[in-house]
Amino acid sequence: MNPMPDHWNYVLAAYGLAAIGVIGYWRYLAARARALSQSRRGTGRRA
Amino acid sequence: MPYTRRALAVLWKDLLTERRSKESLNALLFFSLLLLFIFQFALGPDRDRIRVALPGLLWLGLILAGLLGLGRTFVVERDNDCWEGLRLTPGDKSAIYLGKLLGNFTLMLVVEMLLLASFGLFYDVALGPALASLCIVLLLGTVGLAAVGTLFGAMTAQLRARELLFPVLLLPAQVPILLATVSLTEAALLGQPLGEVSHWLKLLAGADVVYVVIGVMTFEFILDA
Amino acid sequence: MTRVLGWLAVCALIMGLVADFGWAPREMTQGNVQRIMYLHVPSILTAYLAFALVLLGSVAYLLSRRASWDHLAASAAEIGVLFTAITIVSGSIWGRPTWGVWWTWDARLTSTAVLLLVYVGYLLLRAMVDEPEARARYAAVVGILGAANIPIVHFSVYWWRALHQPAAMLGPGRAPMPGWMKAVVLVNWIAFTLLFAYFVSRRMQIARLEEQA
Repeated sequence: MNPMPDHWNYVLAAYGLAAIGVIGYWRYLAARARALSQSRRGTGRRA
Repeated sequence: MPYTRRALAVLWKDLLTERRSKESLNALLFFSLLLLFIFQFALGPDRDRIRVALPGLLWLGLILAGLLGLGRTFVVERDNDCWEGLRLTPGDKSAIYLGKLLGNFTLMLVVEMLLLASFGLFYDVALGPALASLCIVLLLGTVGLAAVGTLFGAMTAQLRARELLFPVLLLPAQVPILLATVSLTEAALLGQPLGEVSHWLKLLAGADVVYVVIGVMTFEFILDA
Repeated sequence: MTRVLGWLAVCALIMGLVADFGWAPREMTQGNVQRIMYLHVPSILTAYLAFALVLLGSVAYLLSRRASWDHLAASAAEIGVLFTAITIVSGSIWGRPTWGVWWTWDARLTSTAVLLLVYVGYLLLRAMVDEPEARARYAAVVGILGAANIPIVHFSVYWWRALHQPAAMLGPGRAPMPGWMKAVVLVNWIAFTLLFAYFVSRRMQIARLEEQA
């Protein structure tokens, strides 16, 4: 029985890229929310 | 005006317009001939390579022609201020969809028949024995293409990004149609009776039904305002 | 509510990672590369959930014309695309040491890729229509057709490959899973679903606020 060699770098790459995707999206949401609250504060003051 | 008469009225209007101006038809026919040359140049002088790729090229050609021609029927309406007229038509708007669908279907069918004949001629392919099977595949495949193309064509006609969006939306929807028609065309050209590949026929027919039904049911939401 | 979901998701994800690497043993035939499956399978399951919600939101919007359904559809589509991308990338990375190639036109991979194309198209449509009401309508129609197409695509791609591919080349996850493996996948799937719920909730909030602005 010849077990397959471990490919930890592939495992790391897969999990790493997934993490980048998830964190990236989370930051995108945060940035959009921030932009929204800033513009609302702006118009709120004017009103 | 009863439903079918409305649908046929739209179809008749489009066919008349097309017959008088011959805009779309001429350009599409010429485009198809151009494709013949493009495919030949892209695949090189080896005759066998083209022959092997033939089913795919045939449907590739039709899809490319469809991308050009299918959006036009609604753009024409917009350009000539007929859009409001369409929108204000009383009653079930899906009759317009069916009328447009029949028109587009006819247009694509004419183009495809020319493509097929030209392929036979220029690439030296014997179409005779497979002709009946090919016609069936042609009809079914064109329905699927026209059904989605008419729906998305109506949608994108109103958008400034229509040249980009129409292909982007249409092509993923055409994947199963393409796979089915190419497989069926391959089988037909190899002389296989269509009964052996009936699962593809059923898939194609099923897809056609789904697309037309969705088109009929959602068209009014595209015309709405 | 959104906050709670967020923290729950983080906890669940941590538990998932622990299960993936701490608890799950090294798999017999594939070795540790198999651990990528704990990312890949829950990811595609979450994507399917997302696209089901896109269908729901699309139909509900056309019937009720209430904007919140459109917000649901849009949010679910965005996050569904994210998870589909994760599915494909992780599948590809798994495939490289296992099959020797980064990509192969096997049935599963191909139909997942088509899925991605359909919903990226959906998002592109949304990006290119400025008027919110028209955008919602058009997106709903595309969403409905896209969803109806999914089973058709699956069958067509599968039959397409059946002709050309030896049965030995199975997609990832095709082989029957032992009980402990299923348990680990389950833990990760719950974590991903919580993450999905958090993202959808947050994204819908933003959509709601943008509409009011």
